[in-house]
Amino acid sequence: MTDHEVRQEQEHQELTASDTPWNLVIWNDPVNLMSYVSFVFRSYFGYSEKKADKLMLEVHRKGRSIVAHGGRERMEQHVVAMHGYGLWATVEKAVSGGKGQRG
Amino acid sequence: MARTFVPGSRGISGHLEEEERDLLRKVFGDVIQMLEPEARESEDPLVALTGIDPHAAPPRDAALRRLLPDGVKDGDEAALEFRRLTERSLRESKIGSLRAASLLLEGSELQLNSEEARHLAMALNDVRLVVSERLEIRTEADAEAVHAMHDWSKADDLEEYLSVLYNFVTWLQESLVQAMAYELDRTPDAAGEGEPS
Repeated sequence: MTDHEVRQEQEHQELTASDTPWNLVIWNDPVNLMSYVSFVFRSYFGYSEKKADKLMLEVHRKGRSIVAHGGRERMEQHVVAMHGYGLWATVEKAVSGGKGQRG
Repeated sequence: MARTFVPGSRGISGHLEEEERDLLRKVFGDVIQMLEPEARESEDPLVALTGIDPHAAPPRDAALRRLLPDGVKDGDEAALEFRRLTERSLRESKIGSLRAASLLLEGSELQLNSEEARHLAMALNDVRLVVSERLEIRTEADAEAVHAMHDWSKADDLEEYLSVLYNFVTWLQESLVQAMAYELDRTPDAAGEGEPS
């Protein structure tokens, strides 16, 4: 396995080991360009143009959108990546999540 | 005048005049300076080594807070903990992109691969976040109001100057992102740093 594959495998294990779902939320702001937000969703998450545009419009119209969910650590990595791109992202426990990792 | 970015077989090409490149390098440098962590006299060497900063606190400057926002909403303690674990490396990655973007502006003719384009788009976005905060753009209506200012020669105070700068950087970023999206359409396999969930 390449380093990349090993890393993905580790991430996969983390994801399945943690049974608590967490959400990655993106918040609207009047500054980030719609085209840029959609591009980030496509290039970073590998989402289709259709899905990226749908999420971007949800952010724009509703003020926020859950763009990914999964293990907490993975979502926290995504938050940092989104902040790197200049999007405001937060991590939150999924409402229907049941068992919490903390609290 | 700068030209719009154009996707092509050798990547994304663009053209910027010397004054435009000087201006962008200057503002990239300003943002880098904002992001440089304050040097503390007795900094724990572990901070540099691990990237975990037990003294990190939400920035007092609103513009810097735009660059380094909370990672948890409505949870002061959790947000602070998150900041202590991640803020240092976020600062460093942003500084890295801004420096890379500055280096790309050495000559008038730009020829960018996808990684270089990404650095430039991120750097331009960070500039827009900072300038928007200085201009107090809080709503879509505020953003619209700023759009009217395009002429450097008509800018006679700081706010007007910042408005023209904001519009120039916005135009440049929009053009760059269009070209990047086109490249993504052409090479769908290149997409996906993360896996779809």
